[in-house]
Amino acid sequence: MGDLFNPTDEHRALREMVRAFTEKEVDPQAEKHDREEAFNLPLFRKLGGLGLLGITVDERFGGSGMDAVAAVIAHEELSAADPGFTLAYLAHAMLFVNNLAVNGNDEQRERFLPRACAGEIVCGMGMSEPNAGTDVLGMGTRARKDGDGYVLDGAKMWITNGAVSETELGDAFLVYAKTGEGSRGLSLFLVEKGTPGFRLGQKIHGKLGMRASTTAELVFEGCRVPAANLVGTEGTAVISMMRNLELERLTLAAMSLGMARRAIEVMNRYGSERKAFGQPIREFGQVARHIAESWAEFQAGRAYVYRVAGELDLGTAGNRVDSDGVKLYCSTMAKHVCDRAIQVLGGYGYVAEYQVERLWRDAKLIEIGGGTNEAHQKNMARDLGRVDRIR
Amino acid sequence: MKILVAFKRVIDPDARIKLTADKTAVDTESVEYKANPFCENALEEALRLKEEHDGEVVLVSLGGEDITQTIRAGLAMGADRAVRVEIEDKALDSDLAARIFAAVYKEEEDVDLFIFGKQAVDGDNNQVGQLTAQYLGLPQACFASEVEVDEDAGEATVTREVDGGLETLAVKLPAVITADLRLNTPRYAKLPDIMKARKKEIEELDLDDLEIEDTALKIEVVSLEEPPKRKGGEIVGSVDALVEKLKNEARAL
Repeated sequence: MGDLFNPTDEHRALREMVRAFTEKEVDPQAEKHDREEAFNLPLFRKLGGLGLLGITVDERFGGSGMDAVAAVIAHEELSAADPGFTLAYLAHAMLFVNNLAVNGNDEQRERFLPRACAGEIVCGMGMSEPNAGTDVLGMGTRARKDGDGYVLDGAKMWITNGAVSETELGDAFLVYAKTGEGSRGLSLFLVEKGTPGFRLGQKIHGKLGMRASTTAELVFEGCRVPAANLVGTEGTAVISMMRNLELERLTLAAMSLGMARRAIEVMNRYGSERKAFGQPIREFGQVARHIAESWAEFQAGRAYVYRVAGELDLGTAGNRVDSDGVKLYCSTMAKHVCDRAIQVLGGYGYVAEYQVERLWRDAKLIEIGGGTNEAHQKNMARDLGRVDRIR
Repeated sequence: MKILVAFKRVIDPDARIKLTADKTAVDTESVEYKANPFCENALEEALRLKEEHDGEVVLVSLGGEDITQTIRAGLAMGADRAVRVEIEDKALDSDLAARIFAAVYKEEEDVDLFIFGKQAVDGDNNQVGQLTAQYLGLPQACFASEVEVDEDAGEATVTREVDGGLETLAVKLPAVITADLRLNTPRYAKLPDIMKARKKEIEELDLDDLEIEDTALKIEVVSLEEPPKRKGGEIVGSVDALVEKLKNEARAL
């Protein structure tokens, strides 16, 4: 019954449901929200009604209780239509909801997850800063213990869902901050909109792609949170971060799969319809190469992503080589595939109507967000130093 | 209320299909299947009636083990349980299907409504609901675009789409209703319900269980043809030339 991409009937039913929803409700709005650089909040809330926002979360907390493969399916399907919208979904469902479900305690889960799974609140996660990205331990945001709470000072940059409109913050965030030095000096905090000292620095404009999701700078100035908002114990957030980064990178790779898949469908169709010199352009070797290489690379990436997803345990860290590997490969693969799609479509590929120019702009982000390709290369080469023979 | 819903799977209506070499069927090699859209309207209406009046919604499907996935999709939309009658697609025609549905109706007790899609988008026969009503001696209201049930009066008021307008019928329950596309918008299966659907019961019956002995088909498919390829258009020089062509070439006048 099952196959690599749909290991159980439930996975297949999930894919069919998300695909039907995507064709009917996500595809038609994508071009407009990209053009207007606007986040579609009503559509986002519908994902809650479908059980997608809490896809990996236990039913006790309002989730659907599924696994990493299910998360990959949802991201692949949504991203084929609207990667920008899907990025907002990822920031909420993976970086906040799954992160808190795995690393938080029951009190914190009960406080946030039912509302987050239902789509009543829009959430995100803050790691990068204006002056620290790949060098994550070089972050400047500090949390100082103060009586029965912590006081945060600093800023976070490139935060997806940081704003829900031009001026309004998202509702709740998981924020990494230093409580000490080195890898044992990192802690994770829940910070809610409305906390004194927490404000929107700026909503970032003029992005190349992913324009249907909001990106913001978050500012913390003497921002006091209760000790109950410390996630895990003080100084142990590096482990929480590693666990969640694996799922983040895997689902970002899944987004690349969705983009590549759609771009292939578009160029494949166009290759048959468009005629030049009396024959469909797919008959020309140059176009045939674009289509065939895209197909082979997409299939290779897809097999890699689903193989890693099938082995990923959401509760542990330790899959870094391949969670970095899938994103390293699929991000660039999708960028190349989208580029070829534009080339096959010629002038039509360069305008919005055929979607591939938008996919091309969106695809680039996956080489940067959630870890730059250079970070993946560094991590992988370091971890592979321990590997002798390949099993 | 207890509502039966006939639930059929069809070859994805958006997919390109091929005929088998002998041209008596569609080639099912590597085709995708979906629930028949009209059956989804039927199920949606049953679920709405259940939400309003309480009760049970039971799917009834005819086919082999491989239709289970479509049945689970219906269970994930919210049906309570399902009955699958084991039979091969090619061993069915509308008449035998209707006799099987009638037999299942008799097995299930205290049914108030049996809702069908008005037709399946594969064969487009538009016969099974009507034939089932006939075999059971039940009132029928086909092509429904609106359904209201008054349980106390034991009656359903059905608005149906007919040529040139709408007709409103009152039918005594139990009754057969067939659903048109404009009856409702089927819901998406929610993810938690997809997970729950795997635990719902699918009862399996065969024709012996239903004591159906006469399995002879009344319809034989002699051959299928693909639609003719569209020929290129032509720009004519004058109205007279157009009329001439419409008369003598297209024979449309």
